[in-house]
Amino acid sequence: MRKMIAKRLGLMVVMLLGLAVITFTVANVAPGDPARLAAGPDASADMVEEIRVERGFDRPLPIRFGIYLGQLVQGDLGTSVYTGRPVLQDVAQFLPATVELVLFSIFIAILLGVPLGVLAAVFQNRVPDHAIRLLSVSGVALPMFWLGLMLQWYLALDLGWFPLGGRLGIFDDVPPKITGMITFDALLAGDPATAGAALWHMILPAAALSFPALAAIIRVNRAEMLEVLGRDYVTNARAQGIGPFRIIAVYSLKNAILPTLAMIGLRFGWMLGGTVLVEGVFDFPGIGLYAAKAAISSDFEPIMAVTLILGAAFMLTNLVIDLAYAALDPRVRNQI
Amino acid sequence: MAPLLDIRDLSLVFDTFDGTYHAIDKVSLQLKPGEALGLVGETGCGKSVLTRAAFGLVPVPPARITSGSVRLDGRELLGLSDRALRGIRGSEVAMIFQDPMTYLNPVFRVGTQLVDAIRAQSGGRIGKAEAKSIALDMLDKVHLPNPDRQFRAYPHELSGGMRQRVLIAMALAAKPKLLIADEPTTALDVTIQAQILDLMAELVEDLGLAMIMISHDLGVVAQVCSRVAVMYAGKIVEDAPIGRIFDAPAHPYTQGLLAALPHPFKPVDRLASIPGTLPDLLHPPAGCRFAGRCAQAHAACAAPVPLRAVGPQHRVACTLYEDAAPEGAAHV
Repeated sequence: MRKMIAKRLGLMVVMLLGLAVITFTVANVAPGDPARLAAGPDASADMVEEIRVERGFDRPLPIRFGIYLGQLVQGDLGTSVYTGRPVLQDVAQFLPATVELVLFSIFIAILLGVPLGVLAAVFQNRVPDHAIRLLSVSGVALPMFWLGLMLQWYLALDLGWFPLGGRLGIFDDVPPKITGMITFDALLAGDPATAGAALWHMILPAAALSFPALAAIIRVNRAEMLEVLGRDYVTNARAQGIGPFRIIAVYSLKNAILPTLAMIGLRFGWMLGGTVLVEGVFDFPGIGLYAAKAAISSDFEPIMAVTLILGAAFMLTNLVIDLAYAALDPRVRNQI
Repeated sequence: MAPLLDIRDLSLVFDTFDGTYHAIDKVSLQLKPGEALGLVGETGCGKSVLTRAAFGLVPVPPARITSGSVRLDGRELLGLSDRALRGIRGSEVAMIFQDPMTYLNPVFRVGTQLVDAIRAQSGGRIGKAEAKSIALDMLDKVHLPNPDRQFRAYPHELSGGMRQRVLIAMALAAKPKLLIADEPTTALDVTIQAQILDLMAELVEDLGLAMIMISHDLGVVAQVCSRVAVMYAGKIVEDAPIGRIFDAPAHPYTQGLLAALPHPFKPVDRLASIPGTLPDLLHPPAGCRFAGRCAQAHAACAAPVPLRAVGPQHRVACTLYEDAAPEGAAHV
C-alpha cells in the first residue's frame, strides 16, 4: 500500500512536468505580448523592449522554461502582471474559495445522486425512475451558467430566499484566515452564525455547479445498481431470505458504488477547473475567475500556476479515489 | 404419505417485446419428505425457472404465473406476500446454485455473509454471536478445513469447491425441509464435483432433507437421486425411478438423451444426437412439444398429451403409450 502511494506520487511529479511543458509551450506560442501588457498601454517601444529584457522574455524558450522550473522548485510561482502581486499570494486568496465551493457541491451531488440512482434502479421503468431520469437528462442538457442565472433570478431576486452572490453579506464578520475556507474558519473561530451565512451564500452557486455532476452520478449509479441487482449473489441473498433493504442498501450498493466513485473523482477534478462560469454569475471570488482574467490578458505566470495546481489536485483526487476503491473492494486491496 | 412439495398445473409465461413466451406449461410435480428427485433437461427447458418461480424468485414482470398452485407442507405459496415468502426461503426451502464463483458477494467476508443469512433465515431471532457459532459449526460440517480462517476470508480467496461448500453451509444452516440444488456441480472440475456430490448425499441423509437436484447430467443425478423427472421445452415428459429411466426409458426424448451418453468401453467417433431444434415457445405447438424432432411422431401427437402411468411410479407424456390408462388429472 505505502509502496503504491509512493509510486503514484513519484509518477505525479513526472506527469506534472509534462503538464508544465505543454502549458508553457502553449502559453508562449499563443498570440499576445506579455512585455507590452506589463508596460501598459501608453508605453513607448523602448520601454516595452526594456521590460522584455528585464523580465527575460527575449531569451530562447527552453532557457526560459529552465529558469521557470528553477523558480518553481523553490516555491516561487512568479508574479502576476495583472494584479502585480506574487502568484502564490493570489492563489492563496482565491483557491480556498473555489475548493470550499467545489467540496460543498460534490457533497450535495453525492448526497442526492447516490440515493436517487439507487431509487431509479429499484423502480426501473416505473414513475420514480422516469422522474429521476428526467432530472438527470436536464442535468446534462442545461448549461451551468443559464441554470445559475435562473436560480439567481427566481430564488434570489424574485423570492429573496438566498443572497445574490458573494461569499458573505456585508454585515457578516469575516473570520480570521486559517484555511481560507470561510465555513471552516468560522467554525474554527467558534462562530457558527458566520459559517451558516457562508453556507447560505454557497447554496445557489453550489446548486448550479453540482447539477451536471449530480446527473452523471445518478446515471452511473443507476446503471451499476441495475447490473448488480441482476447478479447471482443478489439472487442467493434473496434465496437466503435476506430482506430487500439490506440487499439493496448494503449488499448491492457496496458493489455498485465502485464505478460511481471513479465518476465522482473525475467530476471533482472537472469542477475545480470548471467553476469560472458559476463564479462569474454569482460574483464568487474564486480561482476560476482569476484564471480566466489571467488567460484573457495573457498573464503568463498565473496561467501556469493555476494549471499546475489544478493538475496536481486532479491527480491527488484520483489517488484518493483509488485508495477508496481499495478500502471497499478486497480484490483491489490484494493487488496493490 | 402427504407430499412435502405439491406443484399442480403450474404455468408461467414471460412477457417479451416479441410476444408471450410460454416457459412453463401446466407442470405438476410432487415430492415426498426425504425424497431426492433429479430434474433433468437441456439448457432453457425451464427446470431452473420452475423451481425458482415456485418460491417467488423469478422477477414479476417480465414473468407472470398464469395458472396452478404450489403447496409446501399443505400451505399455498402462490399469492403469498414477499415478506411471507422471505420467511419460507432460507428457513424451510434452501437453494444452492450452479456457479459458486458468482453466488457469493465479492466485497463481503464469507463470515459476514453466513451470519447475515443465518440471521435472516431465523427471522431475526438469532443474535450475531449465536449465528457465528452456527456458521462455524456448519463450515465444519461441510468439511472445510480451518473454519475460523475461512470465516474471515473473502470469497476470492477461496477455490470454487470451497465456495460451493460455503454456499451449502449457508443453505443448510437453518435445517430446511427442502433443498433445491440448481446444477450445483456443473461449474466444478470432476474430482471436486465428486466430493461435493458425496457431501450433498451425506448431508441429505443426515438432515433427512428432501431434495430437487436440477441437472443436465444424468450421471450426476444417478449418484444422489432416487427418482428423475425429465423436462422438455417447459413440460415434464417423463417421471420415473432412477433405475427405470436407465433400464426402460419410455419417452423418445429420454431415449435420445440416454443414447447421447458416451459409453466408457465402446468409444465412438461421434456421439449420438437428437436432430432438430427446440420448438418456438412464443408460439408453442398445442400437442407434444417434442413431436417436431421425434422419429416416431404421428398424427395423434398434434393433440395435447397428458402424463400416463406406464408402470409403478413411472409416468410418461407420449402417444406411443395411449393404451395405458390415462391418469385422471395427470398426477402421481
